Amino acid sequence: MDDEPMSAEESLNLIAQQNRRTRRELGGGPARMLAAWAFAWIVGWGFTYFATRTENVPGWLGGVVVAVLFVAAMVYTGVVSARAGRGIRGPSKTVGAMYGYSWALSSVGLTVIDIRITQFGSLSSDQVSLLWSGTWLLLTGVLYLTGGMLWQDKLMYGLGAWMIVSAGLSVVVGFPANFLVLAVCGGGGFLLGAIVYFAREKSGRR
Amino acid sequence: MSELPQLDPVIHAQARLRVTVALAGLHTGDQITFPRLQQLLDMTAGNLSTHLRKLEDAEYVEITKAYEHRTPVTLVRLTAAGRAAFESYTKALHQLLDATGGD
Repeated sequence: MDDEPMSAEESLNLIAQQNRRTRRELGGGPARMLAAWAFAWIVGWGFTYFATRTENVPGWLGGVVVAVLFVAAMVYTGVVSARAGRGIRGPSKTVGAMYGYSWALSSVGLTVIDIRITQFGSLSSDQVSLLWSGTWLLLTGVLYLTGGMLWQDKLMYGLGAWMIVSAGLSVVVGFPANFLVLAVCGGGGFLLGAIVYFAREKSGRR
Repeated sequence: MSELPQLDPVIHAQARLRVTVALAGLHTGDQITFPRLQQLLDMTAGNLSTHLRKLEDAEYVEITKAYEHRTPVTLVRLTAAGRAAFESYTKALHQLLDATGGD
């Protein structure tokens, strides 16, 4: 059954077919993860911004929505990468794990710093809001820069650069427009990235 | 008429071609466990072992047995020779298509 002669054309079709299958199973690209983060940022920060503009929604609800969406996106990212990396051993797995831990470590570090500065109480609540949006966009940007370097991925590097520009923009525009920058520039950046990676997957480029 | 390229008989068989393609989809230097490879290919363990042995005999594939948490695991990877052979195989396919018109 296996040794039936194949024509060159059949052979190439078989290669393309198995390639698609392998790529899909091994995770293909970051498109779906970026889409999850785009959703979390656009909806979460968009809602937070909306909450500052209206009397009908209590301010703390924005924080809760953001927290829930971010935890969901984190879980999704973890599950997708763990499933893609199942049964794979070697350098790319090590690099991927180190990159994942970099996110976890630096996020915990930044949370401690931001909470401590917030606790001093010397900043107004508007300024505290800028501290958080600015530092988190900056950290996100820097980690995307390193991801771009690791996987020699210019698009990822570009996304990092864009996040850093957004970090600066969010503190310049001030409260409450900084939430709009988080939703539109930050979330929009993820969305654009997801769209480009989806298009690349469809056209079969790595 | 220019000479038609020969297709590598080790790779030019449905099952082994699919195995090679799946392994070539990994990053250079990475290995894959036997069960995961089996799942990527939808092959029975016996069938996959047979074809892996042929690829190993040609030194296109390297099979390593290791222990992880006291459980034996079989790890498979494409060798540099295997990767090169797959590249010249696909090149030969394209040459064949060009030579026969290929519409």
